Amino acid sequence: MNFSEIKEINSLGRNIFSIRFNALEEAMPGQFLMIWVPGIKEVPMSISSMDNGFEITFKVYGEATKKLSEMNVGDRIFYRGPYGKPYPEPVGKTAYVAGGTGLASLKPLINKHGGDVYIGARTKDELFLLDSNFHISTDDGSMGFQGNVVDLFLSIGKVYDTIYVCGPEIMMKNFYDRAGRKYGKNVYFSLERLMKCGIGICDSCSINGFRVCRDGPVFSYDEISMMDEFGVKRRTESGKIELMIKR
Amino acid sequence: MVSISTRVGKRKIEEPVMLASGILDETSGSILRSLESGAGISVTKSIGTEERKGYSTPIVSVIKTGMLNAVGLANPGIDAFLEEFTEVEKKDRIAVSIFGKDSEEFSYLAKRVEEAGFGIVELNLSCPHVQGFGSEVGQDPELVEDIIAEIRGKTNLQIWAKLTPNVTDLIEIARAAEKADAYVLINTLKATGVDIYSRNFLLSNKIGGYSGPGIKPVALRAVYDVFRETGKDIIGVGGISDWSDAIEFFLLGAKAVQVGTGIYYEDYAIFRKINEGISNYLEQEKFSSLDEIIGLMVRK
Repeated sequence: MNFSEIKEINSLGRNIFSIRFNALEEAMPGQFLMIWVPGIKEVPMSISSMDNGFEITFKVYGEATKKLSEMNVGDRIFYRGPYGKPYPEPVGKTAYVAGGTGLASLKPLINKHGGDVYIGARTKDELFLLDSNFHISTDDGSMGFQGNVVDLFLSIGKVYDTIYVCGPEIMMKNFYDRAGRKYGKNVYFSLERLMKCGIGICDSCSINGFRVCRDGPVFSYDEISMMDEFGVKRRTESGKIELMIKR
Repeated sequence: MVSISTRVGKRKIEEPVMLASGILDETSGSILRSLESGAGISVTKSIGTEERKGYSTPIVSVIKTGMLNAVGLANPGIDAFLEEFTEVEKKDRIAVSIFGKDSEEFSYLAKRVEEAGFGIVELNLSCPHVQGFGSEVGQDPELVEDIIAEIRGKTNLQIWAKLTPNVTDLIEIARAAEKADAYVLINTLKATGVDIYSRNFLLSNKIGGYSGPGIKPVALRAVYDVFRETGKDIIGVGGISDWSDAIEFFLLGAKAVQVGTGIYYEDYAIFRKINEGISNYLEQEKFSSLDEIIGLMVRK
């Protein structure tokens, strides 16, 4: 377990925060850390910047993230990692398709390589780190295109050589079904699943034999095509399978 | 290539390296991946009568000499487990690990496992970090004897008893379990660890099990002692991360071995690497089969 001193903490939107801290480790875009809040929990978080130490960007959704959001500059943050496979380098014209806080994982790649960014959220309060040339959608129409980010992407209809997708699995499945085949091998998806160990041994985050923590979190279109559980079934903390959308 | 096939109880096994219970064996997809990667048999995560969420994170911590874990017997419960595994192929190469608090629960689970088409149960008599289960059951000789007799009476399953090293007299427990077809030695050592900067325990449950390279000498001693005293079939497990570790276990009496934490170091490739290493060793040392070295240093 490593620890570091928090250098910066920012509120980016409704319940969305970023924390920057010093780190000696090297990381690549797409990799993640296991952030430990002693006495509460350990949670996986993608690295939203690896220049000047590490930055994590997260939405408050439980006790651990709440505690993190209340920390101050100078406090210690505990972590292990970085873990997981990074995004491959882009080729040609590039697009980024993000749902909600999925943008955090794509941010280092966007900053490094540029390209078109499509970002969707339920409502405008959940959007953050926006840039004036982003294509924006909201489910309620409070900002940008009304609808989901896949509708927005398809409505603009531009053609790309490389596409990175990160967001809720249902949204990524939607993209896979409606746009994936057309772009095929140069589409990469970053998955998030209930994760416990982060190092490929506990099997909590496995999907059809692929471990999100060690074989992923970034998977190619072809790998996703081998996962019939993708966007359909997930596992609870006990390892029990359940449907993502109850029918 | 020299044959590395072996026999445990009544079961012939083509590759003597198995996936140990507790590692990458909660989902059917991962079980199949280990079998395709060269595991002779894969043992599932321990299954109980009811669904259990397990402990909060952190559930593992990598330390200098291995790993600490306290997953907390997370499992979907026997109903959901069988529902997922019913359609799975290669059932003859999957051993189902079960845990319960008494002979009634164990025999109920074993019957369900047999009805679903499996042939081997591994009894978790040894998990060191859950109250009322595992090693708390496994250190009571009468209870152990009772559990095995009950399963023996009610099923035709091959019974593997995974014993705990966290007892004063391992031989006493082994004798209580002698109606099993094989012993699995050893489960993790009861242990803990501290993070000195947050001044917290490394695991949310504070107490967990210690596995990995650091426990190999303890496991070897257990295999040696139990083989010498009982002569029964033993599956050796504890700290195996390469083929030479496995050979040590065979020489002291193990008929097969299991790897768990080793996967953290070598990933799925570990199964094939160890299988090949065993075969090469036998050839170089001029043995004609794996059988010839099993217990060689004890029989002498």
